[in-house]
Amino acid sequence: MLFYFIRRVAMLVPMLLGLSLLLFVVARLLPGDPVGLAAGPNATPELIERLRAEFGLDQSLPMQYWTYLTGLVQGDWGQSVFTRRPVFEDLMTYLPATLELVIAALVIAIVLGIPLGLLTAVYRNGVLDYVTRTVALGGIAMPRFFLGLLLQLGFAAWLGWLPLAGRFPLIGFPPEHVTGFYTVDAVLSGDWEGLRLALAHLAMPAFAMSLSPLATIMRMMRASTIEVLQQDYVLTERALGLSSRLILFKYVLKNAMTSTLTIIGLYVSWLLGGTVLVETVFDWPGLGLYATQAILTQDFMPVIGVTMVIAMIYLVTMLLVDLLYGVFNPKVRYS
Amino acid sequence: MSDLTQTTAVPKRDRSARAENWARAFYRFRQSWLSLIGLAIVVTLIVLAVIAPWIVPHPDHVAGTTNTGFRFQPPSAAAWFGTNELGQDVFSLVLVGARVSLFSAMVVIALAIVIGTLVGAIAGYFGGWIDEILMRFTDLLLTIPSLILAMAVAAALGTGVWNMIIAITVTWWPAYARLVRGEVLVKKQEQFVVASVALGAGWPRILGLHILPNIVSPLVVKASLDMGFAILTVASLGFVGIGVKPPTPEWGTLLSGARAYMPDYWWTAVAPGTAIFLAVLAFNLLGDGLRDVLDPKARR
Repeated sequence: MLFYFIRRVAMLVPMLLGLSLLLFVVARLLPGDPVGLAAGPNATPELIERLRAEFGLDQSLPMQYWTYLTGLVQGDWGQSVFTRRPVFEDLMTYLPATLELVIAALVIAIVLGIPLGLLTAVYRNGVLDYVTRTVALGGIAMPRFFLGLLLQLGFAAWLGWLPLAGRFPLIGFPPEHVTGFYTVDAVLSGDWEGLRLALAHLAMPAFAMSLSPLATIMRMMRASTIEVLQQDYVLTERALGLSSRLILFKYVLKNAMTSTLTIIGLYVSWLLGGTVLVETVFDWPGLGLYATQAILTQDFMPVIGVTMVIAMIYLVTMLLVDLLYGVFNPKVRYS
Repeated sequence: MSDLTQTTAVPKRDRSARAENWARAFYRFRQSWLSLIGLAIVVTLIVLAVIAPWIVPHPDHVAGTTNTGFRFQPPSAAAWFGTNELGQDVFSLVLVGARVSLFSAMVVIALAIVIGTLVGAIAGYFGGWIDEILMRFTDLLLTIPSLILAMAVAAALGTGVWNMIIAITVTWWPAYARLVRGEVLVKKQEQFVVASVALGAGWPRILGLHILPNIVSPLVVKASLDMGFAILTVASLGFVGIGVKPPTPEWGTLLSGARAYMPDYWWTAVAPGTAIFLAVLAFNLLGDGLRDVLDPKARR
């Protein structure tokens, strides 16, 4: 187990090296002139030349990559050509907002999806089953950004229950910075009004993001529960007179969880990459908005940075998923 | 008597086993009404998209004509989905917008299948270091968040339908390469492939004539399930402002433009949004149906 873990972590290093090289080459090969864009339409050729030298863009490509790579491990992830701010600092500012959103969406999806999947599998072909399956079909097809707009229309514009957009009221003071998660920070500082405001702002974007994973987790859970329920050992347990509740929660749930776990892991990457859309709708100051801004100005370094962070989180999540397999299915041997 | 034994002992086969499988699949497909609804909506959408320029009430609005005297008219008999900030008929725009979405999604999937099959088949068939290199590269691409990569490539290439298609395809083929490689690895072990190797057939013949025709059904299933997501991705790029630019109507771009006038003039957003939803839903239903009939493992 420990050996397996060390080997898997060690395997992350070549993955990340390859990824940084791939991203760097792709970013440099793409047509586009970030410095020209950043310098503005009236810039003289001399000014552009000076800027290129300042950002090291006049050096050879292998040299540039080496500078980037050595900086990467030291926490210097390059500099935005457009804002001139260091990328790493920006990432650390925006990452908590995005993570808070993604985690909230995942929690909603898991907390609702797994019990609903279990229930609909047990009461198969009942009313609840048909209703949730229909909603799930729609939930997967619903574009997150359109759902976000509809939520804004309904709950903010018409009902006025929730704030339209943003992460916190513009005139308010967000909770004291500890983790960067407003909800957690509010709890830590005992600022209950701040918690209420943070949750109110979080509710709509988190729900808009959670619908698709919720529907998928539910469907997956339902399918695998039905499969497990038909296994011989469940029949044996029934024959032995174990209560349905014990069978369901102790034996079926564990076995049905493994395939659902993979889906949850895959959704982490999907959610992180897709925050762009929801953050645009709700003006949520996270990585997605940051990436969009950088992409529109063809500012390479922030884009590479955001992609690296998301890929890292994804790789670590998949590692955790593989380790969790063992918890749910002791038959899995790590070798 | 002897006649009867003859006819039962030698089963009559006017079709190959592969053709029979498809016929059986088609029969099962007709049994699921959800798939049939999906198919009906998909066919309707495609037909509407093809004939849209000739049937919309205001073809001039699609070409970019404005009619500012009729800005923000709510839905009525004259303009079914209302009019937008330029006084253009939203119904006409949404209908013609189906062309870009469906066309680009189909081309993306087709290109992804071609590239993915090429890479996956070569990697799976030859194995060894070729497999190692191709698949490590594919895996790397799979770790990159696809929407951000597509956005970055599309922004660097500049606006336009084809640039957007290229950008999405870059992120789309690795999944197909993985799928095809896995299928080729399995089929390589089958008797009929081993037999043709023994008979001295060359690798293009074995791959093209014996292996690839037998992995069509998982590809069809994945392609039909992916169509919805491809439409969604096209619309997403339009929504964040990268992709097709006005006056070419595209669902995502229309929705993004409508955002600014959202609470008061909601119909400008609801029409293109619902169009995206319907198209994705229809393709998902169709794909689910195809998976149930073509993929024996998924059947319940």
